[in-house]
Order: sequence, then C-alpha cells, then structure tokens
Amino acid sequence: MEDFKFLFKVVLVGNAGVGKTCLVRRFTQGLFPPGQGATIGVDFMIKTVEVDNEKVKLQIWDTAGQERFRSITQSYYRSAHALILVYDISCQPTFDCLPDWLREIEEYASSKVLRVLVGNKIDREDREIPTVVGEDFAARHNMYFLETSAKEAENVERLFMKIAEDLMQQARSKDLPRYDSNTTNISGRTSAVSDNSCCSKLA
Amino acid sequence: MFSGCCGCCSALRPRYKRLVDNIFPVIPQDGLVKSNMEKLTFYSLSSPEKLDRIGEYLFQKAARDIYRKRYGFVIIAMEAMDQLLVACHAQTLNLFVESFLKMVQKLLESTEPQLQILATQSFVRFANIEEDTPSYHRRYDFFVSKFSAMCHSNEHGEVRDKIRVAGIRGLQAVVRKTVSDDLVENIWEPVHMDKIVPSLLFNMQESGFHMKETGNIEEAPEDQVDPPMLAETCMRELVGRASFGHIRAVLRPVLRHFDLHKLWVPNQFAIHVFRIIMFSIQAQYSYTVVESLMAHLDENSKSSPTIRTSIADVLSKIIAIAAGESVGPSVLEIINSLLSHLRDSVRNGLSQTDEKQYQEALINALGEFANHLPDYQKIEIMMFIMSKIPFPLVDNNTPADNLLQSILLKSLLKVGTKYQTIHLNTTFPVSFLEPLLRMSLAPDPDMRLLVQKILHTLIDRHNNLEKLSKPTVNVHELELTMEKSSRPDLIFINKHGPVIYDALYTSLQMDTNGVENIEAIYTTLALLCVELASNETIIDLLQLVLGIQNLALTNNDLSNAQKFNLHAVVASLLTLIPIVLNIKPLADYAAKIGKARKHEAPHLLPDLLVHYPANSESANKLPHLLVDQMAICEFVKAGGLDPTRLAQTSPYGAGGPGAVAGNHRHSWVESGARGSIMELPGGQDVDSVSSSPGVQRIIIKEKPPRTSEWHCEVNRHQSWDALFKFPVPRTSSDRSITSRILRRTNNKLPEEELTFESMKKVLTEPPEARKEAEAERREQLSHTFRTATFSELLHRTQPKHDILQNKLNEIFKSLSTTEANRSPIDREKKSNIPVYEQNFPEL
Repeated sequence: MEDFKFLFKVVLVGNAGVGKTCLVRRFTQGLFPPGQGATIGVDFMIKTVEVDNEKVKLQIWDTAGQERFRSITQSYYRSAHALILVYDISCQPTFDCLPDWLREIEEYASSKVLRVLVGNKIDREDREIPTVVGEDFAARHNMYFLETSAKEAENVERLFMKIAEDLMQQARSKDLPRYDSNTTNISGRTSAVSDNSCCSKLA
Repeated sequence: MFSGCCGCCSALRPRYKRLVDNIFPVIPQDGLVKSNMEKLTFYSLSSPEKLDRIGEYLFQKAARDIYRKRYGFVIIAMEAMDQLLVACHAQTLNLFVESFLKMVQKLLESTEPQLQILATQSFVRFANIEEDTPSYHRRYDFFVSKFSAMCHSNEHGEVRDKIRVAGIRGLQAVVRKTVSDDLVENIWEPVHMDKIVPSLLFNMQESGFHMKETGNIEEAPEDQVDPPMLAETCMRELVGRASFGHIRAVLRPVLRHFDLHKLWVPNQFAIHVFRIIMFSIQAQYSYTVVESLMAHLDENSKSSPTIRTSIADVLSKIIAIAAGESVGPSVLEIINSLLSHLRDSVRNGLSQTDEKQYQEALINALGEFANHLPDYQKIEIMMFIMSKIPFPLVDNNTPADNLLQSILLKSLLKVGTKYQTIHLNTTFPVSFLEPLLRMSLAPDPDMRLLVQKILHTLIDRHNNLEKLSKPTVNVHELELTMEKSSRPDLIFINKHGPVIYDALYTSLQMDTNGVENIEAIYTTLALLCVELASNETIIDLLQLVLGIQNLALTNNDLSNAQKFNLHAVVASLLTLIPIVLNIKPLADYAAKIGKARKHEAPHLLPDLLVHYPANSESANKLPHLLVDQMAICEFVKAGGLDPTRLAQTSPYGAGGPGAVAGNHRHSWVESGARGSIMELPGGQDVDSVSSSPGVQRIIIKEKPPRTSEWHCEVNRHQSWDALFKFPVPRTSSDRSITSRILRRTNNKLPEEELTFESMKKVLTEPPEARKEAEAERREQLSHTFRTATFSELLHRTQPKHDILQNKLNEIFKSLSTTEANRSPIDREKKSNIPVYEQNFPEL
C-alpha cells in the first residue's frame, strides 16, 4: 500500500570500503553481507519507517566510493534531502578524506541538505580515530555525528530513524529543500509520481 | 485498509472494482483472466471517466501484493495496466498514466530483479505511446536515477546483465519520452545528463567491442540483449537528438567520465566513443565536439603529456569527420587553437619525448583536418600557418622559437601533402610564396629541408616526387609522368621563376647544407623542370645550372664534398632538362659529359655522398669534364631555341645573386629590380625613376634591336608588378646592367646620371670599359658576400628594402605629375592611353 506521508532521499557517501553498502543492507534488509564487493556506480534501496505514527519512506541511494564513479555519484547528491558521510574508524585515510568530501558536498548538494557524519566499524578492535575526534570534526562542520557498526547492528537503526525524524521536522516547518521549485511541478511535492497518494484518504 | 477487505462484500462494491477484481485468477500461475480483461477494457473504453479510478485501484492492489511478496499477482496487475494503456485513447490517458507510473515506480523500488525488469518493459511500452495532452506535473527524476542505478547493477550472474539492459532501455525510453515534449522535464539538464551519459559509457566500456580493429559499426537491432551494444545504440540516439544548446551537456559528462575512469590512455575506447558521437551528431554541430575536445585539452594542460597526446590523438581521429561540415571562421578557429596548443607545448617542454609525441599528435590532427577541407581552404590554412611562424629567422631567436618554426613548418608540410595542386599560381599566392622562400634560406639546415619538402609536395602534380628524390643521370629509367604545361603555369613561372631560382641558388650556397639539403633542392628544381618545362623557361633553368656549376667552382666556403654534390646535381639536371624538352643534341652532350665523368671522375656524378675518397680530384682541375657554356648555347641553338640570353653573362656567375643583393634584403627582392631594369638601361636610382612611364617609353623606343617586340610588351605589362615583387629578368646583359645600377652606393660611375645624353652615351659607348669597371665592382661585392655572415648581410640590406617601399609610395602619388613632364614624342604616342592603362594593361 502506498501509505506514506513523507518521502526522503538519503545518499550515502564516503571512501571505498568504509561500509556504506553494509549500513544500507543492515538497515533495509537486516542482514550483514560478508564479503560485500565494491559497489558499482549507485545502488538503490527503499525502506518505510514510522515516526510519530506517520509513515516515512526513505529512498536510500548507496553510492560507490571509488574515485572513478565520482561523476555519476555526484549527480545524485543534488536531489538528496540527507547526506550520510561515512568513514571507517579503523582507517585514518578515510577520515583524512572527509574535507574533500565536504568540498564535494558543498559543490554539488543543496545547501540545506541534512549532513550526518558516521564513523562505522566500531566493532573493530583496531580503532584509529577516537570518538572525540569524530565528534569534534562533526561539530566544526555543523553535522550530526554517530558511530555505528553495521556488523553488530549497532546504532544503524538509530541513525536512519534520527534522519527520518529530523527531516520530518524540517518538512513540517516547511524548511525542506525543494528541488523542484523551478520546474513545472505544480503540486509542489517532492515527487508527484511518488507521494501524492492515499495519505489524504487515510487522514 | 478498507479497500482490501474480503470478497463477501464484493457485490456492494463499485462496478469498476468488481471488474478489476475479476481479472485476477485464483492462483497467479493461471495468468490474467482474458475474458474478464476484455470486459474491463470495454468498460474503460465506454466510460473513460472511470479510467483514473481503475488505475488507482489496480495500483493499490499491486502495492499490497508487492508488500506481501505475491509477485504473481503483481505481474498480472502490471499486464492489465499495460493492456489498458494501449487500448485507451490518448486524450483520456492522462489521469490513468499517473497511476500507471506510480505502479512502475513501485515495481522499480522493489528489490526483486524480475519486477524491476517488468516495470522497465512497461515503461518502455508507455514511452512509445504518443500523448497529445501535455503533462505538466509528471516528473521523471526518479526514473532517470533508478534506471541509471540499474545500469550499474551490482547483482551477480545473468541477472546483472538483464538488469543493466533494462536500465539502458529505461533510459532510452525516458529520453524518447522527454525530448519530444517540451513541457515535460528537460532531460538535457546536467542533473539528468550526468547520470545518463556515464551510465551508458560505463556499459559501453565493458565490452571488448571497441578493441576490435575492424570497427564495423552496425546498427544494433532493437532487441539486442548485449548491454554494451544497447548502450551504444542509446548513445547514438541521445547524441542524434541533441540540439546545439544541448550537445555540451552531453559532452561534458563524457569528458569527465574519461578523466575519472582514466580512459584516455590507452585511448581506443575514447576514439570509439568519439567516432560514435561524430557520426550520430547532427552534422552542423559536429565542430562543437572538436571545440569541446580542444577545450578539454586546455583544461588538461597540466596533465601528463601522455594524456594530452591521447586526447590530441582522439582529436586527430575525429577531426576529419568534422572538417566536411566546418565552414568559415570555425575552421580557422580550430586551426588557431591547434596552433596555440603547439606553441604552448613548445614553450613548456622542449626536449621530452612525450612532449614531442604530443606535438606530433597535434600536427597529425592538423593534417587530418586540412585533408578534409576543400582546396581553397587549404591554401588559406597554409597561409594562416605561415603567418604564425615567428620571424625573423636569424636574429635573436630562442631555441623555442626555432623549434616552433620547425614544428609549424612540419604542420605546413602536413597540410601541403594533403593539397592537390592544379594551378601553381593558385597554390603559390605571392603572400605565401614570399615567406616560404624566405624560410628556405633559414640558417637551420633542417628547416631548409622542410621548406624544400613543402615545395616538393606543392609543386609535384604528377607523382614524380618519388622518382626525382635523388639526383640521377639515368633519367630514362625514371618513367616520368609529364604533361604539357598550361598557359597559367607558364605565366606563373615567368613571373616568379627568377625569385624561386634565386632562392634555391642562394640556399645552395649555404655551407651548412648536408647531402639531404642539396638533394632536396635538386628535387625542387627537377620538379619545376618537369612540371613547367617549356622552351621559354629552359634558358633560365640552364642558366641556373651553369650558375650552380660556377658556384661549385668558385665558392670558398663550401667543402669539397658539397662542391662535388653540386657538380652531381648539375650533371643530373643537365641530363634531365633536354630529355624533358626533347632537345636531342643537348641530351647527347649531357650523356657525353656523364660518360666522361664516369670514367675519370665518378665523384662528380650522383649519388651524393657525405665523404668522398681522398683522392677525388677537384673539378677545377678537370675543365674538360665541366659543362661548357658555349657548348650548351650551340646545342640549344641546334635544338631550335634562341640561346642569346644564355650566351650572355649568367646572373649567377659572379658569386651569384648575392653579388647584387647588396641593395636589397634578399636576392629575390633584388631580382625584382633586375627585371625592371630592362626599361631603363642607362638608369639611375631604380627606386625613384624606373616606374616613371616617360623614361620607360624612351628606352623601349631606343632598344628595339635587343628585345623583341613581345618582350617589350610583356615588360610593360609587368613593370609595376616587377617593381613590387617579382619582375622578370629578360636577358642577362640587362641583369648585369641592373647590378650596376643597383649599386647606388659609393663611387658612382660617370654615366650614372639621369640625362638623355648620359643614357645615350651608355648605349653608344663601347661596352669594354664599362664591363671592366663592372667586373671590378662585382668582384668587390661578391667578396663581401662571401666573407660576411648571413645575418650581417641581412642586417645590412634590410632597411633599404623599406626605402624602396617608401619610394614606391611616393611614385604612386606623383604619378600625375610625371605625366606632365613626359617628352613630347612620348606624349604624342601615348596621349590617348590613360595612365592606369599603361601600368596595368592587363587588368
């Protein structure tokens, strides 16, 4: 049944191998795929969650971390409501790249986009980035911060729920970035083909 | 969820819902209930206002089935929607389409590959329906995103390809649907193109297809299931539909994709893709592709030379396709941009081999481009390139300048090779010939060689170049292709011959000449001879041959080997000329000399060597082996030609034209004066008087025995021309007088005053005394020119050239005044001819 009230687009970015696909899989399918290969281009998942008794549909675009797919992945930032920037807490280089990612986000994404910094793989023993460092970085760049483990399903649910809640709040205060403001969408909704359905009927 | 209650209350439900419910079988494997589907179709056709509700209801049912993973029913619902879509009339479709698209999206959102593929198929079907009502609020955002994602499917095995194919088909459908409808989303927005184009390219590059050498690009059938082929088809379609404003939106992601995927090196795929683009793009826009590539080259100016080489290579591979359509300024723009890339490359890296390859690639691109332009544009381009060559050649040139010169010459050669000369006068406009000849005297032997090669390719019209590339005395074996030279050609050589000969002669004097240089000059001369042989030009050629021999005998700067080379060239040319013109006696003479040399001094015959055996005797000591001027005169006469001019002093004799070049910048400029001298034998300062019609008249009147009437005519015709650029020397005695007159430097000879008396004196006085003085002067001058360096000479002669120009301007202005001052006889004779007629009789 098409019974959601809100549709949000969430895009995951970050270096290759930090666990973006695993996070998405864990959240949407509840599994941790061992030996997950590198994502090619972009992958797409959907999950409907309930926030304050309202159904919220999350369109999750899981992008490839490899440099060579940068052009296609960047094209997905533009319509995102929320961007999840993932790094691997056991891998310093993935953290060092964050400023580059932020620059890209700056350039390609909407300015109002909700940005979340995620340190993944907290199940690992060989941590290289202390939580404080991550928190500090997030605070400096005005981002949410969360540490997760896709393997242990730790904080994954919370991460997406938090995003859904925040976006819903934004949407209610009409602060949601509108990507269609300059096009011919008279309905003014995020996506005419996707969310103009039964919500009114259900109300 | 009241809409999905149990079946017991079905009787109470609206009719359309019952009809919809009835099309579903009890178990999904049975498939759509056909008869009930017909009822539903009939119903929706008869009451189209219900169509939107039917769609909505079908969608809800399907959504619920997806949720419950009852995919069988989903497929049936989709099938029903497809059928309704096709059956219903266009104007009623609009509302139904909304639910239809929601349905498709719902299916695409599922993780089930089967459903995704099904949804794509439906979407493609939908895209093929022509709608006549605009749909303002329909958005394809999601579809573009999702189909692009599908193109990158991460699934394993066969499913992967199926999904990718579906993704490509979907993109194709979106493009088809949107390009035709201006009111829908603008598919050309970067938002979409940045997704579509990389997705297609990604699939194309997966195939090994582009690696194949054959490159047979057949249109793939629509049902082709191979993702690369399908992607290619889609790419063609996309590019083919792009209008001028949109083409860049397509090209930008293409270039970016190549950058990111590092597809420039090796560049087979890039070439493949760009060829596809060039062949699919609407022809009139094709040059924008070239421009974009060029711009990309700019952006990559900091990248490694290999990348730039590859890009330039791609450029050279596709530029030909664009050339056919390019017109006007865009052509020169492209050339200019190529040249500036060359310049930058020269400036930045001087020696790396990579950089050299890059330059080669650029030159290739230039050549390819020129190759496909019409001939008149090639000349334009050659002149354009010429204008970009830095001058002067001698003074203060940096190594970079030098390199740039030779690189531009190389590009010129490349363009020249593609040019097919028909008439020499169209090939060599003065503004092109002049700098080219100037280049032929460059201090760098390699550069001179290049210039000769350019001359070769431009002069050679009958593919004799190969045959004449080396001097030989066995001309009969060459099987030369010859054709009687046309009238315009003869006019051309009459007009410019001396200039060309002088330049060639002067470049033979260079002591930096290698064997290659001398051979190249031989080839130029031989080609000129073959292409332009006529009884009128032969004398000039023979004069030059004698001049070259003289040079070999008297020049002190040339090495022995170079002198032997020159003798060999003389022998070869002497053999070639009579054969081309069919002068039997002269041919026999040439053969005789050749034979004798073979016996006694083989080093005076081809082939040209760099080192000759130490015991090779200098030609000066073998006078009987030399070409004798008197003998030639005789044989020429025997051949039925007038040898008078030949009998007189050769213009090249006393140290060559350099001897008289003192007053002028270069010898060919001097030759201009030489020709004009004809009109003023007792003449004064050429610069001020020669063009005065009054003086001209008198001379012609006074000299009838020496020049035939025809000559006078020609000279009168050319007198202006002559003064400007390249006049025609008539007889050698004229030339010698010229040389005298031209030295308006120190110690003037007594007769060098402009009075009628003095002129008369010059003509009546016995020539011996004059000749003596003349010889002395010539000696002096030739000495200067032999010892002084080239740059010094150039420097010394340069400013005077400008004076000549200024004088000419003056003369122009004072033309009307001179008219009044003319002698009465002359006025009588000419009074009915207006001034301009005299000076430009042929115009």
